[in-house]
Amino acid sequence: MLEANELMVFYENMLALNNISIQCSENSIVGVFGANSAGKSTLMYALSGIMLDIRKKEEMAGGERITISGDIRFHDQDITSLKPSLRAKSGIILCPERRRIFKESTVLENLKIGGFLATKAQAKDTLEYILHVFPALKRLKSRIGGFLSGGEQQMLAIGRALMAQPKLLLLDEPLLGLSPLMQATLIKATKAIQKEKKISIIVSEQYARPVFPIVDYAYILENGAAVMEGTRQELMDNPDVKSAYFGV
Amino acid sequence: MQIIVYGTINSVSLALMALGFAMVYGISRVPNFAHGALYIVCGFVCWIFLNSLGLNYFLAIILSLLVNALIGALMYRFVLIRVRGMNISEIIGSYAIGLAILEGLRWGGFKGMTYTLPVFMEGSITLGGVPVDYHRLLMMIIGVVLVGLLWAFTHYTKLGLALQGMAQDERAALMLGIDSDLMATLAMAFGAMLAGVAAILILPLGNIVVESGYHVLIMSIAVCIVGGLGSWMGAIVAAFLIGFTQILTVVYIGSHFQMVVAILAIILTLIVKPSGLFGRQHELEERV
Repeated sequence: MLEANELMVFYENMLALNNISIQCSENSIVGVFGANSAGKSTLMYALSGIMLDIRKKEEMAGGERITISGDIRFHDQDITSLKPSLRAKSGIILCPERRRIFKESTVLENLKIGGFLATKAQAKDTLEYILHVFPALKRLKSRIGGFLSGGEQQMLAIGRALMAQPKLLLLDEPLLGLSPLMQATLIKATKAIQKEKKISIIVSEQYARPVFPIVDYAYILENGAAVMEGTRQELMDNPDVKSAYFGV
Repeated sequence: MQIIVYGTINSVSLALMALGFAMVYGISRVPNFAHGALYIVCGFVCWIFLNSLGLNYFLAIILSLLVNALIGALMYRFVLIRVRGMNISEIIGSYAIGLAILEGLRWGGFKGMTYTLPVFMEGSITLGGVPVDYHRLLMMIIGVVLVGLLWAFTHYTKLGLALQGMAQDERAALMLGIDSDLMATLAMAFGAMLAGVAAILILPLGNIVVESGYHVLIMSIAVCIVGGLGSWMGAIVAAFLIGFTQILTVVYIGSHFQMVVAILAIILTLIVKPSGLFGRQHELEERV
């Protein structure tokens, strides 16, 4: 479904992504694990095309020079230089790190803004579906987004991304700063969404442990490079992974 | 009574002037210093449609509003898009366009007291002992309706919601497929149209003169700074504050002090509360 080959991203001379090739097949969950500054977010930005927007803004303001190379294919089409808004339209939706919900709008408005790409019928169905997956949002409908707790904001962010009718959902650190209980809820919901909506999900996370049970395939990033990859079972059996990422 | 009636009228016209400026800044963060020029252009375009081409007044108004929207969109598409995100350049760029338009009009012979638009309705009524002409009354009603429509537009239509999203977090909106350049172009077109609406409503009360373009720009900046940049509610409240203060100074001090009020309001706001009355909620911290 999605295939990225030899992706490289430089901020000035600093290498942020080093020759990464990643694949995500239809109806699967792919995990991307790595410490802070390993390149997880950069990878997400590169896949969703936001990197192109960042590069443009930096160029205009005379800031950092960003270089991107490699190619990305989605549904057998080359999308390497496709604008981020068109990538979103083709079904790649990023649910960003730190959620970035619209803090001055209500929960319902947040979801409606997310439905910009959806038809009226799609928006209505998806809204119902989101309230079914995240029942907690039901009673918060008219609450201002900025006043939600971290977990509620994350549910809202995922819901908002779903409203955009993704075929491939990119979740960037969805568990950041949440309680173990909330983490478990979100992971369960993520799996349910993947199954029921029949979409693919790429999820990045610093700690592999909570996410690991639901991924089909995973990549481990270090200093911008994918140092290891494999199916869940392969990685589980690998002693290096065990010691580094599960603390066994 | 006089103060209340004229204060309200003055406030509504200030709010009308400032709405376009507030909207463009709120959505695309571009301080549109060509706002005053767009205001005057709409007046002259309407005058041309009306007198040189002999169109019906209503048709002339609609057409001139569309022309204005087009000018706004082109301004963004070809000039402002290149300096997006750099505030000083945006100000210089848009102010240069505004100056070029205004002085170009003056050079083109649009000066003097000969250009006027007809009022919508002749005649007047007395409100609590104060005579008010129908046009001013109509202006107030249209102003209120317009604010209501704008509110409904931003809360209930897809496009309005998308604009709201972009105003709050451009990149997050982009992730949802909301193209920021397209939206900013639209915002600019809407802003220019609102400047046009203000012009069509206010200009029939006097002459169309190039100088009032500068006047409108200063007034709308004053209103937006006092109200908090980017906040429409703030702009409306500030319009009433400044509007009434102006009328009070006219009654008790002298009519020359109208502009002083506006400038003083800017200075005082910047000293006391730089983010304005309803500045965006920066204190709303992110929860991790």
